[in-house]
Amino acid sequence: MADLTTAIAVKESTLTTEHALSPDSGPVSDDMVFQTRDLSVYYGDFRAVRDVELAIPERQITALIGPSGCGKSTVLRSFNRMNDLIPTARVDGTLLYRGVDLYADRVDPVEVRRRIGMVFQKPNPFPKSIFDNVAYGPRIAGIRKKGELNDIVEASLHKAALWDEVKDRLSASATGMSGGQQQRLCIARAIASSPDVLLMDEPCSALDPIATARIEDLMAELKNDYTIMIVTHNMQQAARVSDRTAFFTAEVDIHTDQRTGLLVEYDLTTTIFSNPADERTENYITGRFG
Amino acid sequence: MTEPLRTNFHGDLDAVRAEVVHMCAMVTEMIPRATDAFLNNDLTAAQKLIDEDDLLDAVSVNLDTMCTQLLALQQPMATDLREIVAAIRLNPEIERSGDLVVNIAKATRRMFGTEYQPHIRGLITKMSVEAQRMFRLAGEAYEGRDVALGAALDDIDDRLDEYANDLVAAVLSDHKAHERDPQTSIQMALLGRFYERVGDHAVNVGEWVRFIVEGWTPEQAGAQRAMARMNQQSTTPAAPADEQE
Repeated sequence: MADLTTAIAVKESTLTTEHALSPDSGPVSDDMVFQTRDLSVYYGDFRAVRDVELAIPERQITALIGPSGCGKSTVLRSFNRMNDLIPTARVDGTLLYRGVDLYADRVDPVEVRRRIGMVFQKPNPFPKSIFDNVAYGPRIAGIRKKGELNDIVEASLHKAALWDEVKDRLSASATGMSGGQQQRLCIARAIASSPDVLLMDEPCSALDPIATARIEDLMAELKNDYTIMIVTHNMQQAARVSDRTAFFTAEVDIHTDQRTGLLVEYDLTTTIFSNPADERTENYITGRFG
Repeated sequence: MTEPLRTNFHGDLDAVRAEVVHMCAMVTEMIPRATDAFLNNDLTAAQKLIDEDDLLDAVSVNLDTMCTQLLALQQPMATDLREIVAAIRLNPEIERSGDLVVNIAKATRRMFGTEYQPHIRGLITKMSVEAQRMFRLAGEAYEGRDVALGAALDDIDDRLDEYANDLVAAVLSDHKAHERDPQTSIQMALLGRFYERVGDHAVNVGEWVRFIVEGWTPEQAGAQRAMARMNQQSTTPAAPADEQE
């Protein structure tokens, strides 16, 4: 893994020369964490999402919204190569992470997932203690010193707004926590590996409104340090928390009856929710979507 | 579970409140300056004030955008919702008050060179002081969520109304005694009207304070009276109709 880690690091530092982009791909903006061009995701022969063009700015929250089957989760999962785990999944087009082609042969998907952490719909703490959950990533990365681990765990739990609630029971099992606490623990666990980006796939859909509000407040805090992308069914949540919103929808092929997702509109959240440019966005956010 | 939630949104709401207070303060501060410019035939000061109204418009537009975005993005409820609805309603009240003050400043140009009788100067000064006081109190009632003070503005406004009547009477008698140009006299009467209208807007600002705190506006009392009368009318004629049969 170390070699491949270096590979990413090398690519970053020498981006403009050694790893120049193809001529037709245009300039890469410095403050964009991700840039995609003609990104499509296939499951076997089936194209699940097509032609996604997104530029994700640093330290902002970008929300992906749209009806079921529009491909928003598929797109999110392509940003840290989670789709690799599905044997038939394949990505076409370009997906640059800080100028590096995320799907290049030399890039280690494990290192990608350390830098680009993920929080899932259902809180999924390991059946271990609270401490061990957060220390899991750092331990795998080779950190063994107790003092250093303690610091990382405390800092991560602080950042996840969980420290005050759990500081007296760090050795208690994580599975005994409430759903909202478990989700914040998962965020703390992701943070502990010092990621650059946090991908959140419906992080609040299993939570009650208070726990949801707490996670939303936390996201506003976290964006000081991390770039965040969130997929949500709840477009009011996208409106509340995000700086930018991408609206996806699905097209149905009348011959094959297959649904293919596509990006309809991507703009500032204030624009998407007060004056969207595309009629399909307007219809969806006003509830006139068929 | 007692720690505050949605802190960013509530911070934005604080910013909305601050903008409303800011607008009230701007108008409060403009009133005496318009009066001074008018009474002293100071065209430069008048023009400066007219230009500064653009700033009030800018704050107003900004406040409007903030409110629209919070409605679109934050799904405000209960007090939060009333707070934003009130800001949307208060914004034009205050902005219009600024326009009225600008009208006073503009009268400096129209009436340029006119010498005003001491008692008329005195009345205009009194109206200016009173209008300014009312707007200051309205701003304070809003900022402090002071329902009682907000409601009291309606009574406080009586004095400004009296001054306005006094000014019209003084202008009319002055008109007769000194054979003034009718245009000049009409302008003077209109001037009193501007101050009086500023006072009315201050009363409205005070009324919205109660809406924010209690969800009540004076118009609701009128609406209830209208409903009561309609109910009465629909039951009263029914009896004779039965008797006729």
